Amino acid sequence: MERWQPRRGRGRGRGSYSSSSHTQSNNFRPSNTSNHPTTRKPTPNHISSKINNKQDDNDPEALPNLTGSCPYMCPIEERIQRERLRDLAIFERLNGNPSQSSSTLAVKKFCRTISTKDVRNVDLRPVFVLEDTLNHLLNIFGSKSQPFEVIHDFIFDRTRSIRQDLSMQGIVTGDQAIGIYERIVKFHIISQHKLQRNDVNSNSNVSPMHHLNMEQLTKTLSSLYHLYDKTQKPNPGFYSFYVLLHLGSDHQPTGESLSLWFRKLPFSVMKSKEMMFARRLLRYSRFGNYKQFLETIDSEASGLQFYVLEPYVCDVRAFGLSCLNHGGYKLNPYPLVDISKHLFMEESDVESFCKDCGLDTYTSEDGTRFMPAKQTSFCSPKGPRKYYPMVSERLKTLYDEAPEII
Amino acid sequence: MASYMSMGEAHRRITDYLNRFVDVISYQDGTSLKPLLSLSSESPSFLALADALNLFQDANRLIKQADKYSQYAEIVAPLFRAMQSYRVGHLVESYQAFEKSANAFIQEFRNWESAWALEALYVVVYEIRILAEKADRELASNGKTPEKLKAAGSFLMKVFGVLAGKGPKRVGALYVTCQLFKVYFKLGTVHLCRSVIRSIETARIFDFEEFPVRDKVTYMYYTGRLEVLNENFPAADHKLSYALKHCDPQSEANIRMILKYLVPVKLSIGILPKKALLEKYTLVEYSDIVLAMKRGDLRLLRHALEEHEDRFLRSGVYLVLEKLELQVYQRLVKKIYIIQKQKDPSKAHQIKLEMIVKALKWLEMEMDLDEVECIMSILIYKNLVKGYFAHKSKVAVLSKQDPFPKLNGKPINS
Repeated sequence: MERWQPRRGRGRGRGSYSSSSHTQSNNFRPSNTSNHPTTRKPTPNHISSKINNKQDDNDPEALPNLTGSCPYMCPIEERIQRERLRDLAIFERLNGNPSQSSSTLAVKKFCRTISTKDVRNVDLRPVFVLEDTLNHLLNIFGSKSQPFEVIHDFIFDRTRSIRQDLSMQGIVTGDQAIGIYERIVKFHIISQHKLQRNDVNSNSNVSPMHHLNMEQLTKTLSSLYHLYDKTQKPNPGFYSFYVLLHLGSDHQPTGESLSLWFRKLPFSVMKSKEMMFARRLLRYSRFGNYKQFLETIDSEASGLQFYVLEPYVCDVRAFGLSCLNHGGYKLNPYPLVDISKHLFMEESDVESFCKDCGLDTYTSEDGTRFMPAKQTSFCSPKGPRKYYPMVSERLKTLYDEAPEII
Repeated sequence: MASYMSMGEAHRRITDYLNRFVDVISYQDGTSLKPLLSLSSESPSFLALADALNLFQDANRLIKQADKYSQYAEIVAPLFRAMQSYRVGHLVESYQAFEKSANAFIQEFRNWESAWALEALYVVVYEIRILAEKADRELASNGKTPEKLKAAGSFLMKVFGVLAGKGPKRVGALYVTCQLFKVYFKLGTVHLCRSVIRSIETARIFDFEEFPVRDKVTYMYYTGRLEVLNENFPAADHKLSYALKHCDPQSEANIRMILKYLVPVKLSIGILPKKALLEKYTLVEYSDIVLAMKRGDLRLLRHALEEHEDRFLRSGVYLVLEKLELQVYQRLVKKIYIIQKQKDPSKAHQIKLEMIVKALKWLEMEMDLDEVECIMSILIYKNLVKGYFAHKSKVAVLSKQDPFPKLNGKPINS
């Protein structure tokens, strides 16, 4: 008899079911014909096969209950070892000494290959220590002591370790834990914005960093939603980020359709102000209503929501320009000032943007600038996205008042 | 409860069951095996047996008494425990015991060469799912994490593996697949359907046509729903229509379930159902939407979406229905065109944007000229309107031929 198994997808953090009977079937042998039914014998690997060796930040169900007892931001053993190996980040060095740290500077690193049976309670930090650790990290985030990428890298890794400690202790309730995840989400969002801005300015290629940052953002959101489910105290703003991340058909960071995701949410969350905002943007984006899309952002987006939306604004503007070009009248070229109103851009930026999209513009005798319609050379802007600010008084005030919102 | 049963009677009931069990297997009588494995049907004979077991308390001794019984101890002993627990409302315990029994049953099943016990296996598979659902409800009501349905999913995957072979048992694989779909949809882990779908559709041992019609209908219903969630309308149309076509015409409830998803799909490709159909299958939630599409009434569409918002969100069709707005706008512009044509055919194809603003205002929707121009540009871009708009004079100029192309069963291109 042909032995054949359906393949099981085991994506990271995608609810891979960790039941041991799963791995059992791989060990099935065709049973010999006898009158006695063979029972399923638990193999010695029964328990440990439940725990993935490659630590997955997001699989709390598979882990036994450990209770952290480490009182420092970094377990002493790790600190001593890293001092010896001179493996200290710049923020961890005492007086710049690469082989000297302290209990107020060293922060536990993320460990990819740890297997749970090796972890001891003294290696894990309890929630209140994690909170203090996060405060320390976010202070560094706000400083300008180093180039942004260096700061980002450090915080990226150390917050991942915080999340790892939380999940290894199976912490799935508590306002403190929720607060920690929420602040880490904000960190990732603000970082995403800064990385993109830096990318554009310096022409350096930081897109792997974007991608990794986005990956961790979605993982953190996923953990956060898990907590919201358990505690029944959802914060709708954080659900809205998820919707905003899914604008645009090629933006599917989690591979799950939004319709499916909406099914699981409490109706009260769906009707919250933040979600209604996000849902409206979703509607406009699916319709292609670029004007209302941009107008709604102008009038309602919060600072963090805008950061999440930002990459998509370019796509929407490009689509809008394409529609105007496509449907316009050859004998009625568009004054750029009118386009600037449609696309919430400065007029000079419109000119530049047209160029990015392969469209020509010209200046008439009296100095007015126009874009002719029905050009056949339209193309989506390629390469690193140029950043054209949204012409929005309200958004500008938001940033002036509170640039870092953690 | 079992107040009227004597110990002697209990003893008799249990041995009767054991004898029947043994006989049914030795005669390979699949049909008679089925009721012996069903708990959730709560038949009188099951209830009486469960009472007998709870009264007698030592059924294991009876099982060990004879070789012909004890050979099936691995199946029957936990099955009895499952029955007992079920009868007293301990559903988590019942599930756990039943899963043990089912595991042992699968082992035996593998040994039986022919597919005589396939229908009985279906009963086991069905019970696993139903008991798991009940067990999870019990866990949730006690403030614990529901996890039995997830375990049931794993178990069913194992059963699938057992059936996925060259022999006659393979026609059972689709039934198990459908049970898995139900599990995954209930849990919301719909992405797990992918691997089992791939197995059914690409493995050489399976020929889709060989499966029983009933299972094919259920399969197409669920895979059709997946296509709806992913907004692949042509595929969704194909699958749900297949399900509809082959569904038992007497089964109104099932037809209604299929239509619930097929109607939004058809609407998305420009096909409107007749009012009579919606009424016959009480799909009244779609009535206003269809009306809005016929009238070009945006306000009505938005209102209908809001009125049944929760229901549409639960079934996952909300976003699909929302997108019908495009067609409603098309209809509105078309109506203005028709009215203008009646007044002055030569000028009909020129629509002042101002007219559209007025029409929308009449529908209590405030929109300025810029926004209307935006919308026209989108309708033109998506080929819902053929023509162009003159920015300076604020006029939309429609093509003289076929200015409002029909969708013709194709979704709107983005």
